[in-house]
Amino acid sequence: MTPTEPAERALRRTVPWIAVALALVAVVYVRALVCTPVEAVQGPAQKIFYIHVPSAWVAFLAFGIVGVTSVVYLFIKDPRLDLFAACAAEVGMVFTTAVLVTGPIWGKPIWGTWWTWDARLTLTLFLWFVIMAYLVLRGAVSEPGQRARYSAVLGILGALLVPFIHVSVYLFRTMHPLPVVLRPGRPTLPGAMLVTLLLGFAVFTFLFVALLRYRYLLARLADVRTQAEAERADA
Amino acid sequence: MGELLRVAWAVAAKDLRLEFRSRTAFVSALVFTALVLAIFNFARDPTAVSAVDLAPGILWITFTFAGMLGLNRAFGLERENRALDGLLLSPASRTALYLGKVLANLVFVGAVEAIALPLFALFFNVPILPVLGPLVLVIALATVGFVAVGTLMSSMAVNTRLAELMLPVLLLPFLVPPVTAAVQITAHLFSSRPFSEVSGWLRLLVGYDVIFVAACILFFESTIEE
Amino acid sequence: MPENGGYMVAAYVAAAVIYLSYAVYLVRQGAKQGRGGSERLGP
Repeated sequence: MTPTEPAERALRRTVPWIAVALALVAVVYVRALVCTPVEAVQGPAQKIFYIHVPSAWVAFLAFGIVGVTSVVYLFIKDPRLDLFAACAAEVGMVFTTAVLVTGPIWGKPIWGTWWTWDARLTLTLFLWFVIMAYLVLRGAVSEPGQRARYSAVLGILGALLVPFIHVSVYLFRTMHPLPVVLRPGRPTLPGAMLVTLLLGFAVFTFLFVALLRYRYLLARLADVRTQAEAERADA
Repeated sequence: MGELLRVAWAVAAKDLRLEFRSRTAFVSALVFTALVLAIFNFARDPTAVSAVDLAPGILWITFTFAGMLGLNRAFGLERENRALDGLLLSPASRTALYLGKVLANLVFVGAVEAIALPLFALFFNVPILPVLGPLVLVIALATVGFVAVGTLMSSMAVNTRLAELMLPVLLLPFLVPPVTAAVQITAHLFSSRPFSEVSGWLRLLVGYDVIFVAACILFFESTIEE
Repeated sequence: MPENGGYMVAAYVAAAVIYLSYAVYLVRQGAKQGRGGSERLGP
C-alpha cells in the first residue's frame, strides 16, 4: 500500500457526506419556500432569514474554531492543528461571504437601501476582513513553522477584536440611529417558522462540518504526498 | 521589572538614535502628513459642509496613514542589516525587545502627531487650544493602542513578500475600535459637548488599550521565535 | 403585504451558487489530487 492510499480513501469517503449535506440544504430550501408561512409585515423577502441567519451562525462558529485551535496550537505546536485552523478559516470564509451577499439582498426591500451599517452585518463584514487578512498572510509566508505561528497570533487577536467591534458598532448606532422603512426587529417566531429556522441551523452546521472535513483531508493528502515524494527523492 | 525596562529603553534608544541620525523617515512622514491634510482640503465641497464637521475624521485618517508609514520603517531597519539576528542572540528578553520597539514607534509617531496637530488646526481653522488637554489625552490613548498592535503586525508583515501592502491589510481591522472612539471623542471636544457623553467611547478606548497591549506582549514572542 | 418575492429568489439563488460552487471546487481539487498533482493545498 502506498503511503497516500489511506488518505485518498478517507477523502473519497467524505464526498457522500457533502452530497447528503447539499441534499439537506435543498430540503431546507423547499421547507422555507413552500411550507413556511409568509410573514405579514415583511412579505416573502423575510424568508431570506432562513438562509442568512444559519449561515451567520456557521460563520461565527468557524471563526471561533480558528481562535480556539490557534490558542491550542501555540501550546502544543502540532502542525495538524494549524492546518485544521486554516481549513476552518477557508470554509468559514465561504459562509461569511454568503451572509454578506444575502444580507443586503434582504436589506434592500426591508430597509430601503442595500447597506446600512447594521450592527450584525457590520460585525460580519469585519469578520470577513479578518479572515481575509488571515488567508492573505498565510499565502505570503512560505516557511511552514513561521506561517503557523503568524496565523495563530492573528487568529487569536482577531477573536479578541470581535467584542470590541461589537461594542464600537453598538455605541455608534446609539449615537446615529438608522432610518428604517420597515422595522424587522426580533421576529417572534410562531411554531412553523421556528422549526424551519432550527432545521436551517442543523443543516448548515452539517454542511460546514462536511466541507471542513473534506478540506482538511484534502490538505492532509497533499502534505502526505509531498512528504512521500521528498522521501523518494532522498532515497 | 527594572531589568525589563532598562533593556527596552536601550532598544528604543538605539532605534531612535539611528532614526534621527538620518532623519529621512521623520521628514518624509511629516511632509506626507502635511500633504494629506492639504489634499483633504480640496477633497470636499466647502460650501456644502463646514470644516469642523469633517475635521475629526480628517485628523484621524491622517494620523492613521502617517502612523502606518512610521510603523513600516520600524522592522524594515532591522531586516536590511539582519540586525534582528543580533538582537535575538542577545540575552534581551523578547518582551523587552517588543516594548523597546513600541517605545521607539511611540516617540516617532508622537513626534509626527505633535507637528501635525497645529498644522491641522491651522489648515481647517479648528480651535484646539480650549480643549487641548483632553484632546492630547485622547490622541495619546488611541496612539498607544495603534502602535502596540501595529508594532506586532509589522513584525510579521516585514517577513512577507508584500510588506507595505500586508501591514494595512493586517492592521486596519484592528484600528476600527480605537480610531472610531477617537473620532467620536474628538468630535465631541470640537463641538464643546460635555465630556460625560463620550464616557462609553473612553471606556472602549481604555479597555482596548489594556487588552491589546497585554495580548501583544504575550504573543510577540511567537512572531519572533526561531 | 409587500411584493418582494424577487429579492427572496435572488438571495436563495445567490446562496445556492456560493455553496455549490465551493463544494464543486473542493471535489474537483480532490480529483486532481487523486490523479497526481502535488502542490501544497493548505490554505
